[in-house]
Amino acid sequence: MANESLRQIAIYGKGGIGKSTTTQNLTAGLTELGKHVMVVGCDPKADSTRLLLGGLAQKTVLDTLRDEGEDVELDSILKEGFGGTRCVESGGPEPGVGCAGRGIITSIGLLERLGAYTDDLDYVFYDVLGDVVCGGFAMPIREGKAKEIYIVASGEMMSLYAANNISKGIARYAKKGGVRLGGIICNSRNVDREIELLRAFAKELGTQLIHFVPRDNIVQHAEINKKTVIEYKPDAHQADEYRQLAQSIEDNENFVIPTPMTQERLEEILLEYGLMDNVEDDYRI
Amino acid sequence: MPKKINLDMASVEPREQRLGTIIAWDGNSEELHEQSAYELRGQKERGKKGCGGNCRLCELSGPFTQGAVCSEQMVECQAGNVRDAVLIQHSPIGCGGGQVEYNAIYRNGLAMRGYKVENIRIINTNLKESDMVFGAADKLRRSIDDAWERYKPQAIFVASSCATGIIGEDIESITDEKEAELGIPVVPLACEGFRSKHWSTGFDATQHGILRQIVRRNPQKKQEDLVNVINLWGSDVFTPLLKNLNLRVNYVVDLASVEELAQMSEAAATVGFCYTLSSYLATALEQHFGVPEVKAPMPYGFAGTDAWLRELARVTHREALVEPFIQAEHERVKPRVEELKKKLQGVKGFVATGSAYAHGLIQVMRELGIEVDGSLTFHHDPVYDSGDTKEDSLGYLNQHYGKVSNFHVSNRQQYQLYAFLQQVKPDFLLIRHNGLAPLASRLGIPAAPLGDEHIAVGYDGMINLGETILEILAHKKFHDDIRKHVKLPYKQWWLKQKDAYILAKHPELIDDDAAEEYSTEERVEVGAHA
Repeated sequence: MANESLRQIAIYGKGGIGKSTTTQNLTAGLTELGKHVMVVGCDPKADSTRLLLGGLAQKTVLDTLRDEGEDVELDSILKEGFGGTRCVESGGPEPGVGCAGRGIITSIGLLERLGAYTDDLDYVFYDVLGDVVCGGFAMPIREGKAKEIYIVASGEMMSLYAANNISKGIARYAKKGGVRLGGIICNSRNVDREIELLRAFAKELGTQLIHFVPRDNIVQHAEINKKTVIEYKPDAHQADEYRQLAQSIEDNENFVIPTPMTQERLEEILLEYGLMDNVEDDYRI
Repeated sequence: MPKKINLDMASVEPREQRLGTIIAWDGNSEELHEQSAYELRGQKERGKKGCGGNCRLCELSGPFTQGAVCSEQMVECQAGNVRDAVLIQHSPIGCGGGQVEYNAIYRNGLAMRGYKVENIRIINTNLKESDMVFGAADKLRRSIDDAWERYKPQAIFVASSCATGIIGEDIESITDEKEAELGIPVVPLACEGFRSKHWSTGFDATQHGILRQIVRRNPQKKQEDLVNVINLWGSDVFTPLLKNLNLRVNYVVDLASVEELAQMSEAAATVGFCYTLSSYLATALEQHFGVPEVKAPMPYGFAGTDAWLRELARVTHREALVEPFIQAEHERVKPRVEELKKKLQGVKGFVATGSAYAHGLIQVMRELGIEVDGSLTFHHDPVYDSGDTKEDSLGYLNQHYGKVSNFHVSNRQQYQLYAFLQQVKPDFLLIRHNGLAPLASRLGIPAAPLGDEHIAVGYDGMINLGETILEILAHKKFHDDIRKHVKLPYKQWWLKQKDAYILAKHPELIDDDAAEEYSTEERVEVGAHA
């Protein structure tokens, strides 16, 4: 791509961890910094841009391709959302049929062909389905697209397992291309010693905890209103948290090839930070 | 007891998993037979590892391949050749590239058998990018409807493809739905190219579908004089042959009607002309439908044909008819065979065909006194589905006709054939598949393209093949002229290479600049080197 200052970023993490919410809130923060941002949803559910667009207002790339054939106009798949963000949803087949992974390959190819990656863009974010089950879901980090990856995780065990697995994938692609891990974003679940655990986990991967986003019900409220927190309550404390995350990403220079850990080492860290004790001792319902 | 063929699964078990099939090997035919350990493999329950530690069959595996065929193509030339059925390829259009070739073969086959000559009926669903993403169930439904409206077939076959295999397209539920709706068998065939390293799995895939959905279960009647003959599209040599035992022929799968496929379960026996082709269907007919498979050497040469006829007569209770017939046939053909032997004295031949079929052809060549010290087969099955040693075609060849010193398994690799031919320098080649004969011609070696695969079957087969060989030997001068005027595409390194499998043994050579560099200056006139 011609635009050398363009930063393409892929957001990965376990399903349900809050990738879409975090991505949209942080991109809202980036627009406040005057940045031009495109968000590409890479999930067949097509709900990655809902908060920026104020609802599921977007016809997906793949639906458009299916209905209108190859002769697609960029305008019909790219909608402007909050703060001038350009929003695209890749979309995909119904659950259980076809191939969602191929869908991502197809739609990113179409975006490139239609010239969606304009020179004035500062950022492109890819919000990818939680489980990178096949080559298609790795498409955003292949072939010179996203060079930066952030993993959204929490102190919950399964999210750290997932983050470690994703790091393995990143390490594999890092050897072939320029893709690097920019850090872990903690989307807090209020588990004990969460911040220490995430710091230790990030350190073990050779990266950083780039921001700890505390848990706050206002996120829920904003979601119900189909808005990012920054749009819904610009003066809320949580809005500042996302602004800080945006600033940290803007300033980030710490990009590494992650050093994923063995299952044993991961469990050691979990034990060290009391997670396992909790699991065993806490019988409260 | 060998493992029973599983017809409950929708997809056929690939040949290498059932039989341990290999596609590259080098040695002599006795070594291959020993390593194949037919008997041990036949006894063990397949799928289980190891058989007493004695049957390790080492396959050569190289970094380069020059010729190939897809399992799906074997479905085209079997299911596509059922006279009143339609085959739908649920695939990108490229998989339909073979339709032209198979149409020509089909039309020839119809003409040879005296049927009305018409075009093959294969429909391709033409899958595109968005079909890969969203699935193409509706497209397949529409194609099935189109096939029905256009042809009113007695059955519709649906062949899968790599593309549908990868996206997990649920073909089966659509064929079930359409079968109920149309009231004819709508048969899914799992023939994704990546499922098997050898195309013969495509034969099995077709046969598996026919066994599951077309062959009549619990037939009301038995036809005690009917014999299933598993064939391709060759000339009708079995009808006159079996008539002598008061038996009628039911040719399957190619050029059969759907009803002829259905009545396979009513037959008195099943035979084939090549165990590569017939193994799966014949064994399953015996195991699941009680139709005995004739387990005998294949009907090639005097000994093979005698044994095959005797076993067929035993299974169909016609022992009284067979001995006089054998005796009469010997008397009839022997004088001509003797004449041919004289004419063919000192001639050396080379066989390059499918696996079991090659064993049969070598038998006939040796009956005719032709020297055969080299051959290649496209693959090798160390055992066939029945596991019965009476079907051990390679063992039979070794035992009754002697070993073949240079017995190569080579999957249509032209560059290897060059080295094989340098080794043994035959006077002619027997070839059935395309792609290899042109190389032989450029080396000045005439090749007989055995378009009619039944040419060598039975007693007359010896005469037919002998006469064909004499005919092609008459083209020797023409081929010498070709040799003098053509160049080979190989460079010095390969022209001098003795070991056709050097790339399998030293794969690093393919990256070696010295071996890889190719310049036209280095092309060599064959005349100067052969």
